[in-house]
Amino acid sequence: MFTGCGVVTGQNQYLTRDVAGPHPGLEMNRPIQMGNGVTPGSCNVYQGQTYSSSGQPAVNVNGSSPLKPAPLPVPPPALKLGQEGFKKVCRTEEDGPCPFPGLASGVLEMRVKEGSKIRNLMGFAMARMQGEKCVSGGGVSVGGLRQVVFTGSGRAVTKTITCAEIMKRKVGSLHQLTKLRYKVVKEVWESTEGGTSEMTVHRTVPSISILLSKDPLDPQEPGYQPPETLTALWEEKEGVESAPQTACKRPCGPLPYSTFTHCKRVCLGEGVSVLPSH
Amino acid sequence: MTEPRNPGMSSTAPVHPDATSPAVEMDPVEYTLRKRLPRKLPKRRNDVYVNMKTDFRAQLARCQKLLEGGGHREICVHGLGLAINRAINIALQLQTSSQGALQLAANTSTVELVDDLEPEDPDEAGEPMTRTRNNSAIHIKVFYPDPQ
Repeated sequence: MFTGCGVVTGQNQYLTRDVAGPHPGLEMNRPIQMGNGVTPGSCNVYQGQTYSSSGQPAVNVNGSSPLKPAPLPVPPPALKLGQEGFKKVCRTEEDGPCPFPGLASGVLEMRVKEGSKIRNLMGFAMARMQGEKCVSGGGVSVGGLRQVVFTGSGRAVTKTITCAEIMKRKVGSLHQLTKLRYKVVKEVWESTEGGTSEMTVHRTVPSISILLSKDPLDPQEPGYQPPETLTALWEEKEGVESAPQTACKRPCGPLPYSTFTHCKRVCLGEGVSVLPSH
Repeated sequence: MTEPRNPGMSSTAPVHPDATSPAVEMDPVEYTLRKRLPRKLPKRRNDVYVNMKTDFRAQLARCQKLLEGGGHREICVHGLGLAINRAINIALQLQTSSQGALQLAANTSTVELVDDLEPEDPDEAGEPMTRTRNNSAIHIKVFYPDPQ
């Protein structure tokens, strides 16, 4: 497998770009001889790269270092593969164990993909959470779910967070638990011309899971976020600003975003020190 | 009045300065104001704000330096919009390179961003408008768990 990687140096070079740094769970400390200026320590080795033909298209990566800070979940390798006459055939996610301990089964899981429309997602989720009394054909009537999980990976992470934030705003006082981890995605690319060469790529992408629950969750769990309770407090503080932002859910303090000048005034009024010295 | 404004107003997509003057249209002033650091955080040296302009490895190295050399037991990585992915990646990289000694705690929030739209043509009969939009942000606390 690793010798195979050594052969197709060019492709490895740009394939490494979408995950900077070592893969978890891969022994990446093997010295790999790559002739394209890739430092072995930083080369990401992909398992399961299979080449069904030796006629790999020559890859021209214009001297760019493999770990260029490309936006990580946006795969520049995908662009290169597309330019090289490759077409993605299929993409499967490997579903890991549920990251939330003690989660009841039967909780609604919303899988947010990159192309998902937020209004479709929210329409479905809101209907479930707010309780649809109508029953479809005598099936199970759901009197309003208590918990919902939003999961997304790669480019869909931002959309996942946005969906969760929208739901929190519409359905107030939800407890949130956020978990981050890596997910391995397997993609199969095949060549558009000829269709003889085929590549399987294992790519590790960051993924996020957000649990929203009407029931209180364990506050000691890392990633826990209480429902916002300080909107009223901000409204009197934020006289100058428009409608207050939603809760700034930082662990340090529930202070909203604001301008600096404004912040100095208000902070001094509060007696909170904003001196730069720590 | 609507036609000349259309090129500017039709930019309902996140690209604001499309047919109009570039940075002025987006009014970085107000945008920057909104993007100011949250109040308490500027004085915390263990805060790292991630953006898409700086080199990824440089930001990662900075976080690592804060954790190891700086003697901070925890750092907080923030990301807004597109930088959310990068922030998550930095946090996960820190965790894997520490061989599991670090733990992550992620919080999410919504940030309001304001754009000022100004008519491109000064002779145009149109007044500057502001548009507010929301963006998601993530705050990831990377910390060594307290020994129990």
